[in-house]
Amino acid sequence: MKILVCIKQVPDMESKFKVDAGGTWYVKTDLAWRMNEYDEYAVEQAVQLKEQVKDADLTVLCIGSDKVKETMKKALAMGCDRGAHVADDAADTKEPFQIAGIIAEYAKDKNFDLIFTGMQSQDRGSAQVGILVAEMLGLPGITTVVHFAYNDGIIEVKRELEGGIKACVKVASPAVVTCQLGLNTPRYPTLPNIMKAKKKELLSIPVDDLLKIESRQETAKMYFPEKKGGGLVLEGDAADLADRLVKILKEKTGVLG
Amino acid sequence: MEFTREIYWNVGHGAETLIPMYLFAFIAIGVMVRGILKRVEVYKQGLPLNRTDHPGKRLLHMVKGALLQKKVVRVQWPGLLHGLFFWGFGLLFIGTTLIVIQADFTDLFFDVKFLKGTFYLFFSITLDVAGLVCIFMLAGLLVRRFFFPPEGLVTKNDDFIMHGLLLTILVTGFLIEGSRIAVTELGTPLSYWSPMGLLVANGISGMGEGGLRALHKVIWWSHLLMVMGFFILIPLTKFRHIFTSSTNFFFDDLGPKGKLINLDMENEDAETFGTTHLKETTWKDIFDADACTLCLRCQDRCPAWNTGKPLSPMKVVNQLGEVAFHNPDANLIETFEKDVIWACTTCFACQEICPVAIEHVRKIIDCRRAMVLMEGEFPGEEVMTAMEATEVNGNPLGIGYAERADWASELGIKPLAEDAEVDILYFVGCYASFDKRNISVAKSFIKLCQAAGVKVGILGKEEKCCGEPMRKMGNEYLYQTVAAENIEAMKSYGVKKIVTTCPHCFNTLEKDYRDLGFEIEVESYTVFLQKLLTTGKLRINSRELSCTYHDSCYLGRHNTIYDAPRALIAAAGGRLIEMEKNRAEAFCCSAGGGRIMAEEKIGERINIKRVRMAVETGAETLLSNCPFCLTMFEDGVKGAEVEDSLKPKDIAEILAERII
Repeated sequence: MKILVCIKQVPDMESKFKVDAGGTWYVKTDLAWRMNEYDEYAVEQAVQLKEQVKDADLTVLCIGSDKVKETMKKALAMGCDRGAHVADDAADTKEPFQIAGIIAEYAKDKNFDLIFTGMQSQDRGSAQVGILVAEMLGLPGITTVVHFAYNDGIIEVKRELEGGIKACVKVASPAVVTCQLGLNTPRYPTLPNIMKAKKKELLSIPVDDLLKIESRQETAKMYFPEKKGGGLVLEGDAADLADRLVKILKEKTGVLG
Repeated sequence: MEFTREIYWNVGHGAETLIPMYLFAFIAIGVMVRGILKRVEVYKQGLPLNRTDHPGKRLLHMVKGALLQKKVVRVQWPGLLHGLFFWGFGLLFIGTTLIVIQADFTDLFFDVKFLKGTFYLFFSITLDVAGLVCIFMLAGLLVRRFFFPPEGLVTKNDDFIMHGLLLTILVTGFLIEGSRIAVTELGTPLSYWSPMGLLVANGISGMGEGGLRALHKVIWWSHLLMVMGFFILIPLTKFRHIFTSSTNFFFDDLGPKGKLINLDMENEDAETFGTTHLKETTWKDIFDADACTLCLRCQDRCPAWNTGKPLSPMKVVNQLGEVAFHNPDANLIETFEKDVIWACTTCFACQEICPVAIEHVRKIIDCRRAMVLMEGEFPGEEVMTAMEATEVNGNPLGIGYAERADWASELGIKPLAEDAEVDILYFVGCYASFDKRNISVAKSFIKLCQAAGVKVGILGKEEKCCGEPMRKMGNEYLYQTVAAENIEAMKSYGVKKIVTTCPHCFNTLEKDYRDLGFEIEVESYTVFLQKLLTTGKLRINSRELSCTYHDSCYLGRHNTIYDAPRALIAAAGGRLIEMEKNRAEAFCCSAGGGRIMAEEKIGERINIKRVRMAVETGAETLLSNCPFCLTMFEDGVKGAEVEDSLKPKDIAEILAERII
């Protein structure tokens, strides 16, 4: 069985972001980098699947500068077998269609039985790459998966819908699956696996070899939301507070309507 | 007439006594040695660990610990009973040895007798008193153990055998002496130099010489056989502690106190890290189990045990022994149980009080290392999150690393990257950098330094967590990663001296980093500020303050800094009311051993228990010296519902409030 998991390196969301000079992305200094949270679920699920079927080869793919190799090493330490690094110093300027195009170009002749990725990235958050890859490869794509089971070529998943409703989906491999929070708890790499990861194959491929399509959309502007009015602190005794709160809710919101 | 007595009186000097006596002795000692060697084989199942370097220093340590019973007497009453018994028994042993030397060596071969004259008188009365003291002390210990045992004291067959045999040996000793005196010394001045023997002699003198001689002979031989039995029983019962506990001082960790053994992360041949099985422990860990006397002192002081958690340091040590002797392939982590291993706060109360120099904490950390490094397992998801946060942002709180120096900007403190010409580098630590409550401590410390004209620099965003909580939680890899980065940063600026306000940072830089090639001087802010006060560089107003003081585990027990913080409190005008558990006996705040990252899910909350101890003093302020303690106490006063009457503060804060 051949499995591909696609990950992205993103800034830690606790960092303080600033918009860059071009006004279309964030400044990259003073940021701590890590694996996109949803991709961690994807890696974990891919490794679990590999452990389940035993005879499997798991490739982790990441697009970006040399710096993303650090994040790839974590995926290798978690249990991926080999790394495919698409070397691209300008990955953050590419739109989801191009990113998906690169992945599809890489994957097209490799006969992956399953492709996992996060349901979206924490920084751009377009949630398009997974489904675009599926479309480009002509595979079924299943998004926002919170439960995954594989048995003899058949994938059974639960997808998370609005309001906590789940949808059960059954599909035959090959397929693309995008992973959502709640799917699993990503493992903490063990030291022997960290050591082993250092020796695993991690090949870099120039992005030009894989980028065969033009971009279709462009980020026009990125900005912080304007600061609007602050909060209101009510003080006094409980009965009075309740009355005033009800009054405010009636006047300013529709929640009691 | 010269004062002396006939050795082998009544039993005979000839071969009919000596041959069976020495035969018994050789057999008994032979059996004992065989028993000991069998145990040594069990110790050898462990990994090697060099504990024979600095033999002189070790010997001195053993003299203090074993011969002087320095740690045994720390717990007053049972300690004193044991101490006096030990010294009395020691004298009896020396006395008996002198008799053997004279009777079977110097007299036998050279006709030299030294047990005579004035020396004999003192010899006689010394042994008499020693025997009496031994009987009383043993009786005291016996009453304590069998009639008024402290809660949790485990009494086994060994204890019956030991008390019974020793008491019988002592009593028969006096019967032998009494029957001999009754026949040979009654009415002579010599008899007064054996007061206890005389008392027995007077009691039994009515038996007549024939009866007394018969009694003497029977008891002499029974006494001898019991002593031989005692030798045989040494390796087989808790009597073994005579050897194991005393030599455990020789093999003790010579320090720095509590420093863990560095794991070699570069060793690519290593297949396992930490301890899962006996073969991954050291011989000393097994030996420790054999040195344990089940005295309960560690368990009595363990903050985890005292708040309803399953950890008993004593039990861990003895379970390891059980595995070593009876089930060497068992999984130690499963034997101890995971909740037990995670419960330890590494407060060191167990090791501090242990009268036989057992190293409990290292055993627990070694298991944690295996759980974290081999299995990626933590006590809870929150701990894994904190570990990952430290990997990404260099602090367990998960706050962006670039904001690490934000607190300092208004005080004009610059990172070394901007100005490396400083008197001291303040290693701020994660909590004083990011936690709102503890930022106040960092600011107070800076104000004190500035008032004293000390130029302070910080590493700013180049500083990472010192790695202590991660290391104590078993994550040696992460610890060594952050440590290496910190060391490189500090070295690159040519820093001369480092001061910390966190005792965990202090302990780590001062001890642990030394194994990683770090040599810069490190000082706790309490010691540093006390020097500034003494030299007059820092001047503060003395303003009365009703307070109690909590010795953090890492400034106190781990680094024995007890006086500097108290001197600071006194200088500030603090009217210090000590809690019952203070200094080396202080009770943990719950946050050591990496527990600051973990939720306390089992039993009572340790921090609330400690806060209640502070409440008992009636003080208005609970002073401490540690960001973890302060955090736990801020939480604890709420939990104990005393936040209006008891204010937790750091010593730096009350000093800063009093700057002239």
